[in-house]
Amino acid sequence: MRRTLLAATLAAVIAALLAASVVTPPDGFAPGWVKAEALRTFGGSRLFDHIDGGAELYLEFGFKTLGVQRYARGADELVLEVYEMTGAESALGLYLMKCGIETPLVAIAARNSSEAAQFTILKGQYFLHVNNASGREDLVPAMTALANRALETVPDERPADLLSMLPAEGLVPGSAVLFRGPVGLQAVFTLGEGDILEQRGDVFGVSGAYEEPLDGRFSVILVAYPDSARAAAAYAGLEARLDPYLTIIQKGESAFVFKDFKKEYGRAELKGDRIEIRVGLVTPPALWPTLRPSGSWPPARSQGEPPPG
Amino acid sequence: MKRHAYRSMESRLSLNRRDFFRVGGAAGAVAGIGLLAGRSLAAAQEQAPAPPAKPATNIADALKFPRTKTSLPGPFPGRVVEVRDPASVSGAKVDAAAVRAMFAKGMMALTGKDLVSSFGLFFTKDDVVGIKVNPVGPGLISTRLEVVDAVIDWLAAGGLPRRNIVVWDRFDYMLKDAGFTPERYPGVSFEGLQTMDEAAAEGKTKDNSRWLRPDGTHVSADNFDRDVFYWADVEGPKDEPYLNQHVFNGKHSYFGRLLTRKLTKIINVPVFKNTGNAISMATKNIGYGAVCNTNRLHKPLFLDVCVEVPAFPVLRDKWVLTVTDGIKGQYDGGPGPEAKFIYDQGALFFGTDPFAMDLVCHTLLVAKRKEMGVKVNEHPQFTEYLRYAERLGLGVADPAKIAHIKA
Repeated sequence: MRRTLLAATLAAVIAALLAASVVTPPDGFAPGWVKAEALRTFGGSRLFDHIDGGAELYLEFGFKTLGVQRYARGADELVLEVYEMTGAESALGLYLMKCGIETPLVAIAARNSSEAAQFTILKGQYFLHVNNASGREDLVPAMTALANRALETVPDERPADLLSMLPAEGLVPGSAVLFRGPVGLQAVFTLGEGDILEQRGDVFGVSGAYEEPLDGRFSVILVAYPDSARAAAAYAGLEARLDPYLTIIQKGESAFVFKDFKKEYGRAELKGDRIEIRVGLVTPPALWPTLRPSGSWPPARSQGEPPPG
Repeated sequence: MKRHAYRSMESRLSLNRRDFFRVGGAAGAVAGIGLLAGRSLAAAQEQAPAPPAKPATNIADALKFPRTKTSLPGPFPGRVVEVRDPASVSGAKVDAAAVRAMFAKGMMALTGKDLVSSFGLFFTKDDVVGIKVNPVGPGLISTRLEVVDAVIDWLAAGGLPRRNIVVWDRFDYMLKDAGFTPERYPGVSFEGLQTMDEAAAEGKTKDNSRWLRPDGTHVSADNFDRDVFYWADVEGPKDEPYLNQHVFNGKHSYFGRLLTRKLTKIINVPVFKNTGNAISMATKNIGYGAVCNTNRLHKPLFLDVCVEVPAFPVLRDKWVLTVTDGIKGQYDGGPGPEAKFIYDQGALFFGTDPFAMDLVCHTLLVAKRKEMGVKVNEHPQFTEYLRYAERLGLGVADPAKIAHIKA
């Protein structure tokens, strides 16, 4: 029994060490470049010791460890930051929030958005930065070599296809993001204080911008819960604690329409195990929209939903 | 990239992340779902946590002090001057002559006087003038040395002895890292309100002797005035890393003695950058830069601190001018420096009303964020603090009453 327990403990320790391992290329990843100091690691909430504010977004998505390795070649300096997240979806969510308009460098062997001052890279459950504080273009080849050496040992893993929850029609390219709580949601829209959609750190939401001839540009926010009971509870909480700057102007059993501080409109609806919200509409939406052909937005109501009214 | 260990915000999550489950579900969540399924919606609604009320503060104490002729918003409430010269910056290179010309133009447009005469509107030759800079992102988005050059030269030309000029920030080592040194500015002094051991904060060493005294107090504790404080009913964490960075961890944020005992006037020279959906410019540079023990305030009082701290006479009556350094700007990723979002802007902003200036700069930053395809949340909560300041008589926040002058 004791031996089994010991073996299990040892296995857990090894697994934890492997999980926490940070891959950093050795000296000579490019001619003349060497490590300038020992690897520094930050786990969990110690991330605040490294990042100037904003660490809460990393933590909200699910952060495990960060490894920071400084490299030098004479007076030149590059810094590699390897963030290990709790899953590929967490890393993707962070990447989409951080990449801005993607400007990929094809020479880098993973999805990236790069410029001379900083490479932002996504692979599996890892999110990487290669920082070049000087911003000098002539250091880009060394940055590329550093990034690719680091990526060689980063395991690949495909995230669940959360973004496909968003309807494709009208979606503005590059606008889709993930969020896993109030910090991420805040970047899109304020629906209320705290964890207003009751994601509790375990449910991802998606959001994207849409362009439509009638409504102009607006945003869609979707959260799919593990089951309809939890979705219903979250919907009830949303309606009860809706931001005071949002005024409900029409309400049904499982949907409501609201007006916001910019005199634009929004609509929230409980649809089975999901909450679907549209914000930034120029014209007030109907509480129960006329059914549209399959595949268009908003999707047709499912059977058993309350009648329009 | 140099990144200071500046823990300016704390996590808003208190969940145990080991309990998280990945997409598709995990056993850890099942128990919670089962409980919820058994409840009625009404019950779930009843038990939904109400948003936490804001903690009480001692703002009423600040408001008891009669205003003086130098109190905020100063002689030009609601007036904000913007000067642009695209040639003033190109990448890492800043054209000092161009910045100097922009400064002169801006001050003349603000005051209606020539540069030398404008000095007398704010200072006498006996003043001790503190220049508050923002050195957090050296080389990327910190206050440009060339802008401070222009300010110092203006003060000196007005007759202020250089020994009466103090360039200051909350952290001493940040000043040095950003290039604010006696070698660069002969005759001028430099003061950080506190020190912090970066190595200890970053976990490089377990040796706390460089910041912690044997009696358990911070070596910078005496730099703060125990008689002048901002109190808020929220306590700072008791751990050593927090104390290292914040000097105290109770419910008091003491003002630096530099401000309460030495400086007679303050010029604020913040940078142009965001903090999430809000901005970290004129009022945040002072609100979070003039007192200690601030991290505890971020979550419950965030932008209100940018109003309530400057409402105390030690700032309200001494902070006479703001020159926002928009030579570079950062439109996303702030308040920490994020190279990808930093751009050449070539702008300086001038005003005596920091709240009007924040509104103008907030509007410009939102426009930039939209232009760059960044998601923008324009909820009023991100500018509510400006209207709060207006209600307290500290500045103008009504766009209709703000004169945004492009000189």
